[in-house]
Amino acid sequence: MKSNYDKENEQLWNLMGEVPAPEAPAGMRPDFDAMLDNYKASLREKPRRLHAFLQRLKDLWHIQPRLQLGYGIALVLLAFGIGYITHRSFSGNNEQISQLSKQMQEMRNMMTLSLLENPSASERMRAVEYVNEAKKVDHKVAEALLTTLNNDPNVNVRLITLEALANLAVDPFVREGLVQSIVQQESPLVQSALADVMVKLQEKRSVKPLQKLLHKEDTNEAIKNKIQQSLLKLS
Amino acid sequence: MFKVKEGDLDKMGLLFERHHRALYSFFVQMLRQGEQSKDLVQTVFFKMLKSRHTFTGSGPFVTWMYHIARNVLRDHHREVKRKGVHTYLADEMQQDLVGGVLADERIEKKQELQALAMAMDQLNGQDRELLILCRYQELKYSEIAHLLHITEGAVKVRVFRALNQLREHYLKVSTEKNCA
Repeated sequence: MKSNYDKENEQLWNLMGEVPAPEAPAGMRPDFDAMLDNYKASLREKPRRLHAFLQRLKDLWHIQPRLQLGYGIALVLLAFGIGYITHRSFSGNNEQISQLSKQMQEMRNMMTLSLLENPSASERMRAVEYVNEAKKVDHKVAEALLTTLNNDPNVNVRLITLEALANLAVDPFVREGLVQSIVQQESPLVQSALADVMVKLQEKRSVKPLQKLLHKEDTNEAIKNKIQQSLLKLS
Repeated sequence: MFKVKEGDLDKMGLLFERHHRALYSFFVQMLRQGEQSKDLVQTVFFKMLKSRHTFTGSGPFVTWMYHIARNVLRDHHREVKRKGVHTYLADEMQQDLVGGVLADERIEKKQELQALAMAMDQLNGQDRELLILCRYQELKYSEIAHLLHITEGAVKVRVFRALNQLREHYLKVSTEKNCA
């Protein structure tokens, strides 16, 4: 059995069903259509804007590689240009340098020649040092050095000259000069040093002069021993 | 709605034809304001167009539509509060509500309906909305449950309570009217 409340609720529920639904005004559909058209138009507009934006991006994309490519090519060309110019100037420099070094060599030779004639022993030693610095000496200098080796009054100068000439022994003229110098030396120090050089150069032609020196009466005993050892090494 | 979602926007016209009256009715019941309700209906359809991608079809279309309608209504209330415009127009309400009732109908029924309308207005917003959705808009309990994110049982309980509240207000209004 239903309570009073339930009955009243049911009545109320039914009454609510009798409430007429508010009538929608007539002009709603045209308004809606207008709104829909506007919306569709805005949608069409949007892709166009999007398209334009994308196109701009694309253009930028197109421009950029071109710029980059141009930049790259320009850099490569520039590098070639710089390389070419520097190479040319470098080769030019090379010529100049070789010319210059040739001149230097000549000057050094002249200096050596003139210094070798200097009365001061230290100056003559300096001249020999100049020769040491040079890789190659001309015939004149070699001759002057050999003369110094044979005739210089100072033993130290002769010793240092011998050292310099030993370095130039590739030259057959120098070699020959050294061999001939053996008999001319009177200083035991130079004789000893010469014997060493001969052993070092393995110069067979020096055997005869050394033997001659060995049999010389005024040769130092110690030097004789030394020569004997050298001769053993050379044989 | 799926066709609209796929890009056939003209199909929205069909949905408008089917549902604009119910929506208009909902807004009028909620706001008692004919002109505003008209605008709000348009707003709901516009929002449905714009957010058509969010329609997943996981629930009924009507639920989705009322979900948007409730959001629109909430925005409207916020706007009204911000602007300080009072939209409640008693005269318009009376006119809208009883406009369809012919003049020669029984005066008693008219008075009953007026009392009901007044009682409805005295309900709190939630209860009023629930009864409107349930009775006037004739949404199913399951649809309301989906819309309000509550269980169907909870909807039934709430409707029952709201109806009890309405009855109390109705009786009070009726008594006052009879005494007057």
